[in-house]
Amino acid sequence: MATVIFFCVITKAVAITKSDPLVADDVTSTQQQAIAFIDAIRQLDTSASWPNIKPALFLQNLKATIHHPISIYPGNGTNFCGYGALTYLLLQDDPLGYAKLMLQLYHDGKATFGTTNFNPSAAIKNETGLLRYKGILDIHPADQMWFLTLADHYKGYLNLFNRNYNPGDEDSFWASVNFAKFNRMVRNLLHYKVKARGADLMRPHVGDIYQYISKRLQTGKVVLFINNRIVHKKNHVSLKLRVPTHFIVVEKISLADDVITLVYWDYGGRTLLQMSPTFFKRIIFGITYCTKKGTDAK
Amino acid sequence: MLNKLLHTILFAVAVSIFFSCSPKNISTKYYYQNEKVLDKIEETYKELSRQQPFTLAFTSKSFKTVSLEIITDTLAYIYEFGVEEPRLTDTLTTYGLNAPKVTRLIQQMQSIRCAWIKNFDYYVDEAKNSLIFMSIKPVALKAPFSYKKYYILTYFNRPQYFDKDGHLLDKRHTRRLRKINGEIFTRINDKVCYTISGKFR
Repeated sequence: MATVIFFCVITKAVAITKSDPLVADDVTSTQQQAIAFIDAIRQLDTSASWPNIKPALFLQNLKATIHHPISIYPGNGTNFCGYGALTYLLLQDDPLGYAKLMLQLYHDGKATFGTTNFNPSAAIKNETGLLRYKGILDIHPADQMWFLTLADHYKGYLNLFNRNYNPGDEDSFWASVNFAKFNRMVRNLLHYKVKARGADLMRPHVGDIYQYISKRLQTGKVVLFINNRIVHKKNHVSLKLRVPTHFIVVEKISLADDVITLVYWDYGGRTLLQMSPTFFKRIIFGITYCTKKGTDAK
Repeated sequence: MLNKLLHTILFAVAVSIFFSCSPKNISTKYYYQNEKVLDKIEETYKELSRQQPFTLAFTSKSFKTVSLEIITDTLAYIYEFGVEEPRLTDTLTTYGLNAPKVTRLIQQMQSIRCAWIKNFDYYVDEAKNSLIFMSIKPVALKAPFSYKKYYILTYFNRPQYFDKDGHLLDKRHTRRLRKINGEIFTRINDKVCYTISGKFR
């Protein structure tokens, strides 16, 4: 407990507004291109493939996501955080590609993105639009469609014993993402080179973790696979399983007076967390460093 | 004969101790036994979080360390303080919260071992609604073999629909049970439901 110390000194230097433009370097398509594309669409017809999606709500959700990528929300109590982090990266890497993929999936019930063919099951198609008590994801059918499709398509060892969707499985192992699966999805869908350090049960051996992350943040994107049960305790049990549970996308990191200030994306917004280097080291299990293809990952 | 009688008595005592502490038993009574203080906590939190959204969680077993999450338009800030630390009130003031009232709320939560309180948005027919989620760690839920340690209440703003067993439904015309945070909730009254869970959030 003594290691969990959060200081209350907040400086203006770490405040970031949601309207900050995305980094424009090396993007496959720009946010402006995606906005121009999506804003030109006035309305959608009902999709025969997705009986419970309301077209107006779908379009509204898609537009909001393209305009404000930071607001993408994986839902309260779900295991969609890995898919959320992936989507947040995709929205920065190729927002126009994302918009077209979503519309193809909506209209045809299946879609192709790069070399990946998405063909979601009937159970997914029936459930999309019906998720409830997940926060704003309740009224985000496009996000529901995308997260459920990703979980249906990509499988890892955590999904071995629950491979077919049943209602409620968005909260279960069916939707879980292990570290290798996350990196596979990034390599598959994004135009990034990926260098992953760490594992589901072993912490990364990178020397000074702060220095490692800080350096890579200057040249690429960094996703952390953390043990969120220490950050957001869920019970008062003293003996905790040392396993990672949550994916976050690092936005900023700094170190002053032996306190690390981390600003990261998760759950539809940015969070600021201040902690000791020891605590920081304790929560991190996986570090995914992404650089645009054409630039060597170091 | 005497041995057999002794064994029977011991077995009966063990069974009664075990079941007297079981989650099933406590859940039927707990809310009404503590209704006044629980409702007061809910009302105070609702009023304060309307001014500035925040959540409170007690992260230590002793209920002396509180995690404060303050949600602004641009960032969510997560802090952890000892309840007596001056930094707690300084931080509350910095974010425009009524520090004396929040401190009083924290004390009330401590008194009843309320581990977590949060405002939670949900949607019905696309309209935004909110409920307040409260997790309590009652002393009686300390049964040694019980995994379920937390008594969780949800306070809705409007009357809800329930099936014949009192389980929370999504809408009037649907028979489908709805889980909140992975749990099925049961009716206490039209607006308040409970469940017993192994985690407080």
